[in-house]
Amino acid sequence: MDDNQAVNALVRRCVSGDAAAWQEIVQQYHRRIYNICYRFSGSADDASDLAQEVFIKMYRTLGTFDTTRASFMTWVTTVTRNLLVDHFRKGKYDRITDSLDATPGDQEDGLTFADRLEDKGASPEARVRSQETQKLVHEALKRLSPELREAVILRDLQDMDYKDIAKVLNVPEGTVKSRINRGRTELARLLQRNYKQAN
Amino acid sequence: MAGELQSEMQCAQVEALLAEILDGTLQGETLTGCEAHQQSCAACRTMVQEARAGMHWLNALDEAEPPANLVHNILAKTIGALPSEHAPVKQRGEGWLEKLKGRLAPMFAPIATPRFAMSFGMAFFSITMLLGIAGFHFADVRHWDLSSKGIRRTYYEAQARCMRYYENMRVVYEIESRVRDLRRAGTPDQSAQPQQQQPQQEAPAPNQKNPSKTENRQHGTRPQTYSRDNGEPMLATFPAVMLAAIPQARQNRRTA
Repeated sequence: MDDNQAVNALVRRCVSGDAAAWQEIVQQYHRRIYNICYRFSGSADDASDLAQEVFIKMYRTLGTFDTTRASFMTWVTTVTRNLLVDHFRKGKYDRITDSLDATPGDQEDGLTFADRLEDKGASPEARVRSQETQKLVHEALKRLSPELREAVILRDLQDMDYKDIAKVLNVPEGTVKSRINRGRTELARLLQRNYKQAN
Repeated sequence: MAGELQSEMQCAQVEALLAEILDGTLQGETLTGCEAHQQSCAACRTMVQEARAGMHWLNALDEAEPPANLVHNILAKTIGALPSEHAPVKQRGEGWLEKLKGRLAPMFAPIATPRFAMSFGMAFFSITMLLGIAGFHFADVRHWDLSSKGIRRTYYEAQARCMRYYENMRVVYEIESRVRDLRRAGTPDQSAQPQQQQPQQEAPAPNQKNPSKTENRQHGTRPQTYSRDNGEPMLATFPAVMLAAIPQARQNRRTA
């Protein structure tokens, strides 16, 4: 029995009312769903609330999962993505077009991205590994448009293949690749341009 | 052959193959053509470098650690049960009230939200305000007579109030008056015919033009003093006439 069959059996048990099966599903997928929510929303608190909403939605709609159409992982990601889009479509968290010189979190006395990226003594790899730089990348990711952000999150953070991403986003595979490329390029420009400005 | 491909490779093709270039899945002549094009085209070379840098930035991000109570919260909100490793120690002597709360909590979880509470509060406020405007006060409830006799009396009083309200409406009088006018206009001969037949009968005494109530009872007739009969046409908008027509209209409805 491969992984897909095992997961499908788990889902069938859950649909038939097995609470232990549902607990197992929650244990298996909560980390992944939380990470998608966290990288998309940019806030740990929002991510926790959104992940709970995702599981509530999953619990109610688990009976609609069709094993012939997609894998359970793809279905879970689709549910998560749709809920995130619905949540953020209200406009509150639409693309933020702040200047790169703006301080994150609207803190007037905070450091700019350029200031925070400035670390003349370390190599790029060392900076990436530092916790501070991770925050900068995370902040830059929040500044991508939602279309580009969700594409790069699914590809580079969740390691999904293009075909599954196309199913989740409901767009052609070529569009998925284009969005991923644009997202990566925009993120790199956002970070590198400030690093150059800082120097 | 490879030389032809290199010369034919365009920027758009390199851009379309960018994902495969970064994934390292390009092979053979296509890979060679892309590399050759990048060497000759600065824009494509920069594009590939930027996309690769962005991919490295993203791949370097660590997985975020979810809160410790996330699984507990999810299970509490869905099945209302807790996994064994997250379940709190069950206290001794847990009463039936706690058990009932535990069973009802998941059922009421969807409505136990701030939005629902706000909607419920607004609805309650609106209903209370409307009842206040309508004259209903909760403080008066204790003065209510809830015996069967009292309820019956309240019912008849309310019915009578409604009837009075309806009968005192100006528009009702006007409609009734118009209907009477139309009936009279539609049957002009019926009113004239009895007048012609009257001389054949015994001539009435002079005091029968305005007979008293006692005389009417003796003759089995009732005073005909309203415009519905052969009197003067009644103006619907004239208040005095309308007031005079009220008792007859009531009598007509009751007999009807």
